Amino acid sequence: MKNRIEEIRKEKGIKQEDFAKLMGVSRQTISSLETGKYNPSIFLAYKIAKYFEMTIEEVFIFDEEI
Amino acid sequence: MKIEKRIYISVFWLITGIVLLGCGIFDIVDSFWSGMGGALIGVGAIRIVQFVKYRKNPEYREKVEIEANDERNKFIAMRAWAWSGYCFVMINSVGTIAFKIMGNDLLSQYCAYSVCLVLVLYWLAYLLLRRKY
Repeated sequence: MKNRIEEIRKEKGIKQEDFAKLMGVSRQTISSLETGKYNPSIFLAYKIAKYFEMTIEEVFIFDEEI
Repeated sequence: MKIEKRIYISVFWLITGIVLLGCGIFDIVDSFWSGMGGALIGVGAIRIVQFVKYRKNPEYREKVEIEANDERNKFIAMRAWAWSGYCFVMINSVGTIAFKIMGNDLLSQYCAYSVCLVLVLYWLAYLLLRRKY
């Protein structure tokens, strides 16, 4: 699943490490999310969307082909 | 589990290790048990040092808690167990046939029983988890 985490995070000027701390996960998890290597749980997706003050659909792009 | 309880368990391993190693030195038990005692001393001591650091160092505590609760780490751990189990079954299945061809019936049987045991455990776990979820 594609996502806009990196784009939105950079817009907000937050470092990966700080964002990881805010989400309660490791920096590697954020890195894997941004590169699309790892898909988050619904809880983490919700937490990320809530932090960005967006809906899950605005942050995560559901690709039916995948 | 609370940190205090974990420390007590580590102290228990450490004391058990010292007793086993002591018994080994005085020839009360054989080298297998004294070796195990040495290993328990190592494990117990390392765990105690880690727990003390965990209690006294807030940065380390935060790092450990994130690492322990990180969902990607949990996912990776689950996948690693799944792969390990799958590889174990495959290797032992090949071993069963290979040892039989080589004429080593004992090892062939051991491999076959191992595969059966893992598959039985898998199905039990599957049935239990199917009820849970």
